[in-house]
Amino acid sequence: MVEFSVWDIFRNLLLALRWTVVLSLIAFIGGGLVGLSLLIARLSKKRGTETFVAGYVQLFQGTPLLMQLFLAYFGIALFGINTSAWVAASVALTLYTSAFLTEIWRGCVAAIPKGQWEAAESLAMNFGEQLRYIVLPQAVKIAIPPTVGFLVQVVKGTALASVIGFIELTKAGTMITNATFKPFVVYSCVALMYFALCFPVSLYAKTLERKINAVRR
Amino acid sequence: MQSVAEAPGNSIVEINQLRKSYGANEVLKGIDLNVKPGEVIAIIGKSGSGKSTLLRCVNGLEVFQSGSLTVDGKPLLHDSPAAMRALRQRVGMIFQSFNLFPHLTVGKNVMLAPALVKSRDAKTGAEQAKKLLARVGLAEKFDAWPDQLSGGQQQRVAIARALAMEPAVLLCDEITSALDPELVGEVLRVVESLADEGMTLLMVTHEMSFARKVSDRLIFMHQGRVHEMGPPNELFSNPQTPELKQFLSSLHD
Repeated sequence: MVEFSVWDIFRNLLLALRWTVVLSLIAFIGGGLVGLSLLIARLSKKRGTETFVAGYVQLFQGTPLLMQLFLAYFGIALFGINTSAWVAASVALTLYTSAFLTEIWRGCVAAIPKGQWEAAESLAMNFGEQLRYIVLPQAVKIAIPPTVGFLVQVVKGTALASVIGFIELTKAGTMITNATFKPFVVYSCVALMYFALCFPVSLYAKTLERKINAVRR
Repeated sequence: MQSVAEAPGNSIVEINQLRKSYGANEVLKGIDLNVKPGEVIAIIGKSGSGKSTLLRCVNGLEVFQSGSLTVDGKPLLHDSPAAMRALRQRVGMIFQSFNLFPHLTVGKNVMLAPALVKSRDAKTGAEQAKKLLARVGLAEKFDAWPDQLSGGQQQRVAIARALAMEPAVLLCDEITSALDPELVGEVLRVVESLADEGMTLLMVTHEMSFARKVSDRLIFMHQGRVHEMGPPNELFSNPQTPELKQFLSSLHD
């Protein structure tokens, strides 16, 4: 039987960690862009958008991410499109992230007093200008803590992509355990790596929050 | 009740049979009002009489169901963003709660809208902002943040901000109601100077002595209608309707 050193385990997990990072980034960026578009659509108060976005949010918040991954993986294939675990995981995580982010951000925008919109409107600014120059700059400030909190959830949520055969950190951990029979060592390393990923994100959020508040003074 | 002679055509604001309701609750029940350029109109009445709503209709913050409203000959069309943008450049508004933009300095508060809407360049905008801030007595506050100012100072910045758009009409919605009593005077003095300079003003106010002193015409609103209208001295000393009599006497209690 081949002996595996802790370094062997660690090294192989590190290689898989890349894909957790990439998948997280796809979810952040894709989810952020889709979430922002949904937010703007909702705020524009065009007919039907409000109901649509609310329904979208309910759909993705009300079903487990695991099911969304399954449905994306097997569902896209039903349409005769050849999917890989990559595509399915990216699509599912993007949609999932966007639903939560758009709802979080809607709350942050709602926290801005109505008088701010009205003052901007009275100064003849159009909807886009009101949003860009008045409301969003104020909303971003209160949006940072809940957004980062959720993004940390997403990093950990990428672990579920392992169930559709996507080889990221968790899946790699399982595979290495099967080869080494050292589950405690392996999963300890896996947990450490998730922490090493999430902790700096939270830390950065604190700095960012402080920086944004400091700009004022 | 339109006792004051009004020559239609040279009005800056023309309101005809304006009706507005929230659901089944009609808050404005057919308002007719013509405002001449340079005229100062004070609107008084109990809370819930529709006076603030009327003011907010003039710049389209409230949507009305029927009737017409024109400012400077331009009709108010809610569904046309271009028409609303044109109209709002002619109408400034000052709010009870100031509504300064807290994330921008005082100077930027004043300069932002002209830069965006009137494409005014930064240098001209800054010069104009400084001039306007000096006019409201706050020249040295250009780089201050709104939350470093007192309520009275904030409200004066809000006036400068509205003036930066060079409006033809200024709407004042209970602009001293949120102020500490000792700060009311400084804001009213600015408004009075605007009136003296010929600005058209439509103000909802609870400052009766100020309304009496500054306004050319006083409007008493009651239950969504213009209940009584006329020169302020006449209305205050000789109210015609029991509602106005009761309203005025309730002020002295």
